[in-house]
Amino acid sequence: MAFTLYSLLQAALLFVNAIAVLHEERFLRNVGWGTDQGIGGFGEEPGIKAQLMNLIRSVRTVMRGKMKRRV
Amino acid sequence: MAYHQGYGGQGSKHRGRGPLVPPAPDPHQLFDDTSAGFPHAQGTPASGIDMGFNTLLADPMANVAVAYGSSIASQSKDIVHKEIHRFMSVNRLKYFFAVDTAYVTKKLALLLFPYAHQNWEVRYSRDTPLTPRQDINAPDLYIPSMAFITYILLAGIALGLQQRFSPEVLGMCASTAFVWVIIEVLALLLSLYLVTVQSDLTPFDLLAYSGYKYVGMILAVLGGLLFGSDGYYVALAWTSCALMYFLVSVRPNMDTYSNL
Repeated sequence: MAFTLYSLLQAALLFVNAIAVLHEERFLRNVGWGTDQGIGGFGEEPGIKAQLMNLIRSVRTVMRGKMKRRV
Repeated sequence: MAYHQGYGGQGSKHRGRGPLVPPAPDPHQLFDDTSAGFPHAQGTPASGIDMGFNTLLADPMANVAVAYGSSIASQSKDIVHKEIHRFMSVNRLKYFFAVDTAYVTKKLALLLFPYAHQNWEVRYSRDTPLTPRQDINAPDLYIPSMAFITYILLAGIALGLQQRFSPEVLGMCASTAFVWVIIEVLALLLSLYLVTVQSDLTPFDLLAYSGYKYVGMILAVLGGLLFGSDGYYVALAWTSCALMYFLVSVRPNMDTYSNL
């Protein structure tokens, strides 16, 4: 398995892109991973699923912001 | 002296924010401007003319060139420092490399035989962790980086003994190992984020703890080279158990780490 730094960069880019294209309404709501479905209250322990949903949403927001600035 | 007169004072003030070319190649005027200090961080290249060694060069254009070049160099040095400081704090990095020989030998012995060690806590001195020189339980980055490079060289030797060596292989092995280290640190950071554990672990700490396994890998490869495949498996088993015990014992240090 010969990795180079360039292949790591490619893999990271594709991974972030994959997270960014998960559509909120069409797909995540059906699976039950929409961001308005998970947050119960302002309790202490968010749990892994809520953290993952937050991560997906923030990645999407950051990528959208960066892409919009270029357009 | 000449510079107490109005012309000298006006000349120095004028040169402080004026154009690039000095009004006259007068050594006395150029000399006394250095007392104001050379303003190298003002953002205009026209202000850093007044250097002490201008008196050595009689040619005004050479003066200008030297001063311009040195002001540009100091500005780019500041820019580089600022950019680097945005990514990592150099002081924190220096903490990890403050080691000495006694620490290195004791830490290597600890990595290979951690079962006899009693007290695993990192000692603090007034809210900052002690440097590795003073506390054997502190993590460092010297051993991981040296072990990493030694492992790559040793892998090259092993390949050479099997007639599979070429210089490109060394570079490829180094890149691959480096990529695996980065992947591991990123995976650790991701898992720490997902589990929302409140620890102040910096990426350098994670790099240090995940780099300690290279010591075990070096010993495993050496065992395989010297004693055949049996030696490899025995060394691998021994170093794996030692590293497991080490990491489990050191894990309580990561809870209440105070951020430097």
